[in-house]
Amino acid sequence: MRLAALAAGAALLLAAAPALANERHPTQGELERELVCPTCHTTLDESDAPIAREMKAMIRQRIAQGATKSEIEQELVDEFGPTVLGVPRKRGFDLLAWALPLGGIGVAAAGLAFGAWRWSRARDRGATAPQASSAAPLDPELDRRVDEELARFDA
Amino acid sequence: MRLLRPLAVAVVVALLGLLVWDMAQSDGSKVAKKVDAGQVVAAPKLVLPYHERDGVFDLAAQRGKVVVVNFWASWCQGCKKEAAALNAAARHWRNKGVVFVGVDVNDFRRAASRFVDRHDVGYTIVRDGPGSTLGKWGVTGLPETFFVDRKGRVVPPHVLAAATRAQLDEGIRRARRS
Repeated sequence: MRLAALAAGAALLLAAAPALANERHPTQGELERELVCPTCHTTLDESDAPIAREMKAMIRQRIAQGATKSEIEQELVDEFGPTVLGVPRKRGFDLLAWALPLGGIGVAAAGLAFGAWRWSRARDRGATAPQASSAAPLDPELDRRVDEELARFDA
Repeated sequence: MRLLRPLAVAVVVALLGLLVWDMAQSDGSKVAKKVDAGQVVAAPKLVLPYHERDGVFDLAAQRGKVVVVNFWASWCQGCKKEAAALNAAARHWRNKGVVFVGVDVNDFRRAASRFVDRHDVGYTIVRDGPGSTLGKWGVTGLPETFFVDRKGRVVPPHVLAAATRAQLDEGIRRARRS
Protein backbone atom coordinates (compact mmCIF):
# COMPACT_ATOMS: atom_id res chain seq x y z
CA MET A 1 0.00 0.00 0.00
CA ARG A 2 2.80 2.36 0.98
CA LEU A 3 4.71 1.37 -2.16
CA ALA A 4 1.70 2.19 -4.32
CA ALA A 5 1.34 5.62 -2.68
CA LEU A 6 5.04 6.30 -3.26
CA ALA A 7 4.75 5.25 -6.90
CA ALA A 8 1.70 7.47 -7.39
CA GLY A 9 3.53 10.43 -5.82
CA ALA A 10 6.55 9.88 -8.05
CA ALA A 11 4.33 9.67 -11.13
CA LEU A 12 2.63 12.94 -10.16
CA LEU A 13 5.99 14.65 -9.68
CA LEU A 14 7.22 13.36 -13.03
CA ALA A 15 4.08 14.66 -14.74
CA ALA A 16 4.28 18.06 -13.02
CA ALA A 17 8.00 18.60 -13.61
CA PRO A 18 7.78 19.70 -17.28
CA ALA A 19 4.91 22.09 -16.47
CA LEU A 20 6.93 23.64 -13.64
CA ALA A 21 9.97 23.93 -15.89
CA ASN A 22 7.84 25.63 -18.57
CA GLU A 23 6.45 28.06 -16.00
CA ARG A 24 9.88 29.08 -14.71
CA HIS A 25 11.79 28.92 -17.98
CA PRO A 26 9.35 29.53 -20.84
CA THR A 27 10.62 29.32 -24.38
CA GLN A 28 10.00 31.87 -27.12
CA GLY A 29 8.41 29.18 -29.30
CA GLU A 30 5.85 27.95 -26.80
CA LEU A 31 4.69 31.47 -25.93
CA GLU A 32 4.42 32.40 -29.61
CA ARG A 33 2.32 29.28 -30.19
CA GLU A 34 -0.01 30.07 -27.27
CA LEU A 35 -0.48 33.84 -27.57
CA VAL A 36 -2.69 35.58 -30.12
CA CYS A 37 -1.96 38.68 -32.19
CA PRO A 38 -4.66 41.30 -31.35
CA THR A 39 -4.91 42.68 -34.89
CA CYS A 40 -4.93 39.50 -37.02
CA HIS A 41 -6.26 37.04 -34.38
CA THR A 42 -3.81 34.27 -35.31
CA THR A 43 -1.14 32.92 -32.99
CA LEU A 44 2.03 35.01 -32.83
CA ASP A 45 4.13 32.33 -34.56
CA GLU A 46 1.87 32.61 -37.61
CA SER A 47 1.69 36.39 -37.66
CA ASP A 48 4.00 38.97 -39.16
CA ALA A 49 1.82 41.96 -38.25
CA PRO A 50 3.71 44.96 -36.80
CA ILE A 51 2.18 44.53 -33.34
CA ALA A 52 2.95 40.77 -33.41
CA ARG A 53 6.61 41.60 -34.13
CA GLU A 54 6.61 44.02 -31.17
CA MET A 55 5.05 41.37 -28.94
CA LYS A 56 7.66 38.80 -29.99
CA ALA A 57 10.43 41.29 -29.17
CA MET A 58 8.87 41.97 -25.76
CA ILE A 59 8.64 38.22 -25.03
CA ARG A 60 12.30 37.73 -26.04
CA GLN A 61 13.36 40.57 -23.76
CA ARG A 62 11.31 39.35 -20.78
CA ILE A 63 12.59 35.76 -21.15
CA ALA A 64 16.16 37.12 -21.14
CA GLN A 65 15.31 39.04 -17.96
CA GLY A 66 14.15 35.79 -16.32
CA ALA A 67 10.40 36.47 -16.26
CA THR A 68 8.12 33.48 -15.71
CA LYS A 69 5.52 32.37 -18.22
CA SER A 70 2.60 33.69 -16.15
CA GLU A 71 4.35 37.05 -15.64
CA ILE A 72 4.80 37.50 -19.38
CA GLU A 73 1.23 36.40 -20.09
CA GLN A 74 -0.15 38.75 -17.43
CA GLU A 75 1.83 41.71 -18.81
CA LEU A 76 0.39 41.05 -22.27
CA VAL A 77 -3.13 40.64 -20.86
CA ASP A 78 -2.70 44.02 -19.09
CA GLU A 79 -1.82 45.60 -22.46
CA PHE A 80 -4.22 43.84 -24.81
CA GLY A 81 -6.88 42.14 -22.68
CA PRO A 82 -7.54 38.43 -22.05
CA THR A 83 -8.25 37.67 -25.71
CA VAL A 84 -4.49 37.70 -26.26
CA LEU A 85 -4.38 34.30 -24.54
CA GLY A 86 -5.08 31.48 -26.98
CA VAL A 87 -7.04 29.60 -24.30
CA PRO A 88 -9.08 30.96 -21.36
CA ARG A 89 -7.38 30.98 -17.94
CA LYS A 90 -8.37 28.34 -15.41
CA ARG A 91 -9.43 30.84 -12.75
CA GLY A 92 -12.12 33.42 -12.04
CA PHE A 93 -14.84 33.97 -14.60
CA ASP A 94 -12.71 32.34 -17.35
CA LEU A 95 -13.02 29.06 -15.48
CA LEU A 96 -16.59 28.87 -16.81
CA ALA A 97 -15.21 28.32 -20.31
CA TRP A 98 -13.65 25.08 -19.03
CA ALA A 99 -16.35 24.11 -16.54
CA LEU A 100 -19.39 24.52 -18.80
CA PRO A 101 -18.37 22.05 -21.55
CA LEU A 102 -17.14 19.53 -18.95
CA GLY A 103 -20.34 20.03 -16.94
CA GLY A 104 -22.36 19.60 -20.13
CA ILE A 105 -20.58 16.33 -20.90
CA GLY A 106 -21.22 15.17 -17.31
CA VAL A 107 -24.94 16.06 -17.50
CA ALA A 108 -25.24 14.35 -20.89
CA ALA A 109 -23.49 11.22 -19.55
CA ALA A 110 -25.75 11.18 -16.48
CA GLY A 111 -28.80 11.58 -18.74
CA LEU A 112 -27.64 8.71 -20.95
CA ALA A 113 -26.96 6.51 -17.92
CA PHE A 114 -30.38 7.34 -16.46
CA GLY A 115 -32.06 6.58 -19.80
CA ALA A 116 -30.20 3.28 -20.14
CA TRP A 117 -31.14 2.31 -16.57
CA ARG A 118 -34.82 3.07 -17.19
CA TRP A 119 -34.77 1.20 -20.49
CA SER A 120 -33.14 -1.89 -18.95
CA ARG A 121 -35.66 -1.86 -16.07
CA ALA A 122 -38.56 -1.65 -18.49
CA ARG A 123 -37.11 -4.57 -20.50
CA ASP A 124 -36.69 -6.67 -17.33
CA ARG A 125 -40.30 -6.02 -16.40
CA GLY A 126 -41.36 -7.06 -19.90
CA ALA A 127 -39.29 -10.27 -19.66
CA THR A 128 -40.67 -11.27 -16.25
CA ALA A 129 -44.31 -10.73 -17.25
CA PRO A 130 -44.67 -13.89 -19.43
CA GLN A 131 -42.95 -15.97 -16.72
CA ALA A 132 -45.60 -14.94 -14.28
CA SER A 133 -48.37 -15.96 -16.71
CA SER A 134 -46.67 -19.33 -17.38
CA ALA A 135 -47.03 -20.15 -13.70
CA ALA A 136 -50.84 -20.01 -14.07
CA PRO A 137 -52.64 -23.44 -14.34
CA LEU A 138 -53.18 -24.77 -17.89
CA ASP A 139 -56.56 -25.23 -19.46
CA PRO A 140 -57.69 -28.91 -18.67
CA GLU A 141 -58.23 -29.69 -22.36
CA LEU A 142 -54.78 -28.35 -23.28
CA ASP A 143 -53.27 -30.20 -20.32
CA ARG A 144 -54.77 -33.45 -21.58
CA ARG A 145 -53.43 -32.90 -25.13
CA VAL A 146 -49.93 -32.14 -23.85
CA ASP A 147 -49.98 -35.35 -21.78
CA GLU A 148 -51.08 -37.34 -24.87
CA GLU A 149 -48.30 -35.86 -26.99
CA LEU A 150 -45.69 -36.56 -24.34
CA ALA A 151 -46.93 -40.14 -24.01
CA ARG A 152 -46.55 -40.56 -27.78
CA PHE A 153 -42.96 -39.42 -27.56
CA ASP A 154 -42.25 -41.77 -24.70
CA ALA A 155 -43.69 -44.76 -26.56
CA MET B 1 -39.22 14.58 -16.07
CA ARG B 2 -41.82 17.33 -15.52
CA LEU B 3 -38.99 19.78 -14.86
CA LEU B 4 -37.03 18.81 -17.96
CA ARG B 5 -39.38 20.41 -20.52
CA PRO B 6 -39.43 23.95 -19.04
CA LEU B 7 -35.67 23.70 -18.52
CA ALA B 8 -35.12 22.82 -22.18
CA VAL B 9 -37.40 25.71 -23.24
CA ALA B 10 -35.46 28.08 -20.94
CA VAL B 11 -32.14 26.96 -22.46
CA VAL B 12 -33.44 27.51 -26.02
CA VAL B 13 -34.82 30.96 -25.10
CA ALA B 14 -31.50 31.89 -23.45
CA LEU B 15 -29.56 30.80 -26.56
CA LEU B 16 -31.91 32.82 -28.79
CA GLY B 17 -31.42 35.85 -26.51
CA LEU B 18 -27.65 35.43 -26.78
CA LEU B 19 -27.91 35.34 -30.59
CA VAL B 20 -30.03 38.52 -30.68
CA TRP B 21 -27.63 40.27 -28.27
CA ASP B 22 -24.65 39.28 -30.42
CA MET B 23 -26.38 40.57 -33.56
CA ALA B 24 -27.19 43.86 -31.80
CA GLN B 25 -23.55 44.20 -30.74
CA SER B 26 -22.17 43.60 -34.21
CA ASP B 27 -24.68 46.04 -35.71
CA GLY B 28 -22.21 48.87 -35.00
CA SER B 29 -19.96 47.64 -37.80
CA LYS B 30 -22.45 49.25 -40.18
CA VAL B 31 -21.58 52.74 -38.87
CA ALA B 32 -18.55 53.21 -41.12
CA LYS B 33 -20.40 51.73 -44.11
CA LYS B 34 -23.45 53.97 -43.60
CA VAL B 35 -21.29 57.09 -43.21
CA ASP B 36 -19.37 56.13 -46.35
CA ALA B 37 -22.75 55.87 -48.10
CA GLY B 38 -23.46 59.48 -47.09
CA GLN B 39 -25.74 58.76 -44.11
CA VAL B 40 -25.70 60.41 -40.68
CA VAL B 41 -25.81 57.83 -37.84
CA ALA B 42 -25.79 57.93 -34.04
CA ALA B 43 -22.24 57.63 -32.72
CA PRO B 44 -21.48 54.30 -31.05
CA LYS B 45 -20.61 54.33 -27.36
CA LEU B 46 -17.03 55.41 -26.72
CA VAL B 47 -16.02 55.22 -23.07
CA LEU B 48 -12.30 54.62 -22.60
CA PRO B 49 -9.57 55.38 -20.03
CA TYR B 50 -7.23 58.27 -20.73
CA HIS B 51 -3.69 57.41 -21.75
CA GLU B 52 -1.17 58.33 -19.03
CA ARG B 53 -3.68 59.93 -16.67
CA ASP B 54 -6.56 58.87 -14.45
CA GLY B 55 -10.15 59.12 -15.53
CA VAL B 56 -12.35 58.05 -18.37
CA PHE B 57 -13.28 59.83 -21.59
CA ASP B 58 -16.96 59.55 -22.52
CA LEU B 59 -18.00 60.68 -25.99
CA ALA B 60 -21.59 61.15 -24.79
CA ALA B 61 -20.37 63.87 -22.40
CA GLN B 62 -19.10 65.91 -25.36
CA ARG B 63 -22.60 66.75 -26.68
CA GLY B 64 -22.70 70.32 -27.95
CA LYS B 65 -19.18 70.04 -29.36
CA VAL B 66 -17.86 68.64 -32.62
CA VAL B 67 -15.59 65.67 -31.94
CA VAL B 68 -12.90 64.34 -34.26
CA VAL B 69 -12.35 60.65 -33.42
CA ASN B 70 -9.07 59.31 -34.78
CA PHE B 71 -8.18 55.60 -34.43
CA TRP B 72 -4.41 55.04 -34.43
CA ALA B 73 -1.48 52.96 -33.15
CA SER B 74 2.24 53.70 -32.77
CA TRP B 75 3.19 50.88 -35.19
CA CYS B 76 0.98 52.22 -37.99
CA GLN B 77 2.82 54.03 -40.79
CA GLY B 78 -0.17 56.12 -41.88
CA CYS B 79 -0.58 57.34 -38.30
CA LYS B 80 2.94 58.78 -38.36
CA LYS B 81 2.17 60.41 -41.68
CA GLU B 82 -0.98 62.18 -40.45
CA ALA B 83 0.35 63.16 -37.00
CA ALA B 84 1.46 66.66 -38.03
CA ALA B 85 -1.83 67.44 -39.79
CA LEU B 86 -3.88 66.22 -36.80
CA ASN B 87 -1.80 68.28 -34.40
CA ALA B 88 -2.07 71.42 -36.48
CA ALA B 89 -5.83 71.00 -36.94
CA ALA B 90 -6.33 70.30 -33.22
CA ARG B 91 -4.46 73.50 -32.36
CA HIS B 92 -6.39 75.52 -34.92
CA TRP B 93 -9.86 74.32 -33.79
CA ARG B 94 -9.13 74.09 -30.05
CA ASN B 95 -11.10 77.16 -28.95
CA LYS B 96 -13.85 76.79 -31.53
CA GLY B 97 -15.92 74.06 -29.89
CA VAL B 98 -14.02 71.18 -31.52
CA VAL B 99 -12.51 68.32 -29.53
CA PHE B 100 -9.92 65.90 -30.92
CA VAL B 101 -9.61 62.44 -29.43
CA GLY B 102 -7.05 59.86 -30.50
CA VAL B 103 -8.03 56.25 -29.75
CA ASP B 104 -4.85 54.21 -29.36
CA VAL B 105 -5.71 50.61 -30.28
CA ASN B 106 -3.80 47.30 -30.15
CA ASP B 107 -0.70 49.05 -28.90
CA PHE B 108 1.84 48.88 -26.06
CA ARG B 109 1.42 51.76 -23.59
CA ARG B 110 5.12 52.56 -23.70
CA ALA B 111 5.18 52.63 -27.50
CA ALA B 112 2.13 54.91 -27.49
CA SER B 113 3.85 57.27 -25.04
CA ARG B 114 6.94 57.43 -27.26
CA PHE B 115 4.72 58.25 -30.25
CA VAL B 116 2.91 61.00 -28.30
CA ASP B 117 6.25 62.53 -27.22
CA ARG B 118 7.91 62.23 -30.63
CA HIS B 119 4.98 63.81 -32.47
CA ASP B 120 4.19 66.29 -29.71
CA VAL B 121 0.54 65.23 -29.65
CA GLY B 122 -1.39 67.97 -27.90
CA TYR B 123 -4.93 66.55 -27.88
CA THR B 124 -6.71 63.89 -25.79
CA ILE B 125 -5.46 60.32 -26.14
CA VAL B 126 -7.50 57.39 -24.85
CA ARG B 127 -6.51 53.75 -24.69
CA ASP B 128 -8.17 50.67 -26.18
CA GLY B 129 -5.52 47.94 -25.93
CA PRO B 130 -7.80 45.04 -26.90
CA GLY B 131 -9.36 47.08 -29.76
CA SER B 132 -12.86 46.50 -28.41
CA THR B 133 -14.25 49.68 -30.01
CA LEU B 134 -13.09 48.87 -33.54
CA GLY B 135 -16.04 46.59 -34.35
CA LYS B 136 -18.63 49.04 -33.03
CA TRP B 137 -17.31 51.82 -35.27
CA GLY B 138 -16.62 49.52 -38.21
CA VAL B 139 -12.92 50.35 -38.29
CA THR B 140 -11.13 47.99 -40.68
CA GLY B 141 -7.63 49.47 -40.69
CA LEU B 142 -5.52 52.19 -39.16
CA PRO B 143 -5.61 55.14 -39.22
CA GLU B 144 -9.29 56.02 -39.58
CA THR B 145 -11.00 59.29 -38.66
CA PHE B 146 -14.66 60.03 -37.93
CA PHE B 147 -16.45 63.34 -37.35
CA VAL B 148 -19.17 63.56 -34.69
CA ASP B 149 -21.54 66.52 -34.77
CA ARG B 150 -22.91 68.50 -31.81
CA LYS B 151 -25.89 66.11 -31.54
CA GLY B 152 -23.67 63.06 -31.12
CA ARG B 153 -24.09 61.79 -34.69
CA VAL B 154 -21.35 60.54 -37.01
CA VAL B 155 -21.42 62.55 -40.21
CA PRO B 156 -19.62 62.07 -43.53
CA PRO B 157 -16.81 62.08 -44.52
CA HIS B 158 -15.06 59.13 -42.93
CA VAL B 159 -11.33 59.25 -43.65
CA LEU B 160 -9.99 55.74 -44.31
CA ALA B 161 -6.29 56.58 -44.63
CA ALA B 162 -3.80 59.12 -43.29
CA ALA B 163 -5.89 62.29 -42.95
CA THR B 164 -4.71 65.49 -44.58
CA ARG B 165 -5.25 68.93 -43.09
CA ALA B 166 -7.75 69.74 -45.86
CA GLN B 167 -9.78 66.55 -45.13
CA LEU B 168 -9.83 67.36 -41.41
CA ASP B 169 -10.96 70.95 -41.95
CA GLU B 170 -13.64 69.83 -44.41
CA GLY B 171 -14.94 67.14 -42.02
CA ILE B 172 -15.09 69.60 -39.11
CA ARG B 173 -16.91 72.20 -41.20
CA ARG B 174 -19.50 69.65 -42.30
CA ALA B 175 -19.98 68.44 -38.72
CA ARG B 176 -20.44 72.06 -37.54
CA ARG B 177 -23.06 72.65 -40.23
CA SER B 178 -24.93 69.40 -39.44
